Amino acid sequence: MEGVEQAPVFSLRYVWEQERLLATVMIAPAVLYVVALIGFPFVLAIVYSLSDATTGDPALRLVGLRTFGLVLRDPVFLKALQNTFVFTLASQVLVLVLAKILALVLMEDFPGKRLVRFLILLPWTAPISLSAIGWLWIFDSVFSPIDWIARSLGLLGGPEALLGSEPNLYWLGRPFLAMASVILVQTWRILPLATVILLAGLTAIPRDILDAAQVDGAGFWRRLFQVIMPMLLPVMSIAFLFGFVFTFTDMTVVYVLTRGGPVNSTQVLASWAFFKGIEAGDLAQGAAVALFFFPALAGVTTLILLVARRAEVS
Amino acid sequence: MKAKQRKDITRREFIKHAGAGLLAAGLGADLISPRRARAAEKTLRILQWSHFVPRYDTEWFDRFAQQWGEAKNVKVTLDHIGLAEIPARTAAEISAGEGHDLIEWISPPAQFEPSVLDLTDINQEAQRRFGKQLPVSTLSSYNPHTRKYYGFSHGWTIDPGNYRKSLWAKVGKPDGPETWEDLVAFGGRIKKELGIQLGIGLSQELDSTMAAWALLWSFDTSIQDAQENVTINNPRAVEAVEYMARLYKVAMVPEVFSWTPVSNNQALIAGRASYILNSISAYRSAQKQVPEIAKDIFFVPALKGPRGTRWSSEHVIYVYIIPSYSKSADIAKEFLLHLVANYDQAMYASELYNSPAFFDGPVPSGSRGYPPVPGVRTARDLHKAWFEDDPFRIEGEAKGKLAPLKGAMEWSANVGYPGPASPAVGEVFGTFILPNMLAKAAQGMKPAEAVAEAEVQIKKIFSQWRNRGLIGGKV
Repeated sequence: MEGVEQAPVFSLRYVWEQERLLATVMIAPAVLYVVALIGFPFVLAIVYSLSDATTGDPALRLVGLRTFGLVLRDPVFLKALQNTFVFTLASQVLVLVLAKILALVLMEDFPGKRLVRFLILLPWTAPISLSAIGWLWIFDSVFSPIDWIARSLGLLGGPEALLGSEPNLYWLGRPFLAMASVILVQTWRILPLATVILLAGLTAIPRDILDAAQVDGAGFWRRLFQVIMPMLLPVMSIAFLFGFVFTFTDMTVVYVLTRGGPVNSTQVLASWAFFKGIEAGDLAQGAAVALFFFPALAGVTTLILLVARRAEVS
Repeated sequence: MKAKQRKDITRREFIKHAGAGLLAAGLGADLISPRRARAAEKTLRILQWSHFVPRYDTEWFDRFAQQWGEAKNVKVTLDHIGLAEIPARTAAEISAGEGHDLIEWISPPAQFEPSVLDLTDINQEAQRRFGKQLPVSTLSSYNPHTRKYYGFSHGWTIDPGNYRKSLWAKVGKPDGPETWEDLVAFGGRIKKELGIQLGIGLSQELDSTMAAWALLWSFDTSIQDAQENVTINNPRAVEAVEYMARLYKVAMVPEVFSWTPVSNNQALIAGRASYILNSISAYRSAQKQVPEIAKDIFFVPALKGPRGTRWSSEHVIYVYIIPSYSKSADIAKEFLLHLVANYDQAMYASELYNSPAFFDGPVPSGSRGYPPVPGVRTARDLHKAWFEDDPFRIEGEAKGKLAPLKGAMEWSANVGYPGPASPAVGEVFGTFILPNMLAKAAQGMKPAEAVAEAEVQIKKIFSQWRNRGLIGGKV
């Protein structure tokens, strides 16, 4: 039998022993997922944006960059673009600050710590459409419990009241308050994830480094800004990245609370793409609006990953 | 070993045999009973909104459709979804080329014209059987530019003014407002003296948009003319916008900028609005939840503008489409004719929320599932009788409260009036250009500027759809 090549046996064991083949097999589902559910829709969106496609017409007539021209001259789109950055950056800065505080608190031992952890994670587990409806009631123009408490404390509804003489603040009826409301709800929504990520990062910091800093006389703030924060920067970058991507592409909070109003003052790219592309039927413009996610997300993601990498290396 | 081998074979064989058995059972049944086989082939899949009046679905329509299916040997599948999901769902089914045979919209689905069947035949047949269709329905389902019926409208909903009689009586107007100017004069006094605002939405939602249309029409203007040319930028539109800014200042509060479609209902029921523009649904809810408020809610027709013109928008327009992919188009058409033939039941089951598109259709005789109404021959007679004496009136409530709505067909218009509904009109509607135009002026922008801004957006939209060949006009 010597000298005779044996044909390879394609058994499970054979695959298991061939590292390259095994790697290919194991990564294939992820590649397929990305191609089918991200790559294909992305290419489709590009094709739609170069056409005059509508939801009601299967025919595809290519019109070049005309749709982008229309979108860029649309004042609502420009407002939505600006709002998307305000909504995302404001909520994510709040998330990072609050998540850091929460993570530091949760590092300490105190009675009821498990319950507090559970409560902090709760917003992440609740379906956002349901919780946003809860917030809709909290910000209701007539029945808002915040307004009710403010009125009870004499802060609202009286001639000399600090927050105004009207019986309600009209949270979602005034542009500034409406934007503040959607930012607040988004912050509440993303906070648990960021807290868990930062908590994991904090736990990974070697205790002896912190003890050494304390022995050297570094107080809480000095330890925080000169020891903990630099070591936590890669993890914080990842938390920010997740929050940024989730928020930049999200329309649920805006759709449920304000539908982009009042007068488009909380309109964001995702909601505008939906209104234009699906509700109004202009699929081409909806696709073109949605494609503006790509450069923004690609740019911010690259930047954050670079920051995280440098922080890690240094 | 033997036992194990037998066991393995049995497992494999089981799956094989079970599959073959099921197949044989199916074929066998078809061979034994060809009628059953044919029945399995005839299907009708219907997708429609969950009606605002739940009993319409639960106590009437679902059973009505199933009973028709049983009588005709058609397997009827009925799916209800929330009204907000209808556009996305329809788009998905059209895109996939598969889905329901009948899809009901509650606004004109004009943008789907290229992908739905031309329903000229059934519209003509319905007019032959039930008389002339109401223009509000025709102009919401027919494209005069392409001469195609892209839908079939069986009914609509009236959008009157709802007011609190006790509040209006205190300022010397117990029968409620008659003109838009009355809202400023008396509504303003109610707010100032009694602290209750009136509520016409200036928000990014349906009811606010309908109110904006009604205002423009009553001020003798619109966004388009009958030939689908954009006409929004004119002195009368500016006058209407100026009026709304004035009305907001004296009679409303910022809550109207944040309203959802149910907010005006809630405000009225909570006793926080002296007047709203809405269908009778708010009143029906009040009858069940707060009867004392319901007893104080009365109705007025569309308000007159400065030159006596008065129009209101239909609140809901029911339009079925049959997507081109449907293999049951004939069955679907037959069902639609059956629906119109039984519209008396639809009106009753919806607690008068639905009004017929075919007022001259005969009312079938015999037991109809509601207390008999003597002397009634057509849907028009029934409409008149029920609106004069509401069968859903609660104990202790005044009679004839709905009487002002009897002639609603005279002052109700389709979205897009004086032109037809179209995809361009739909996009103007769906992107909230009109309520935003009014809201901007209410928030301080010069009315002429707000109108000019709206014109730019509207012209762009019209131009896009004109390029696609779906609307007429030149400007």
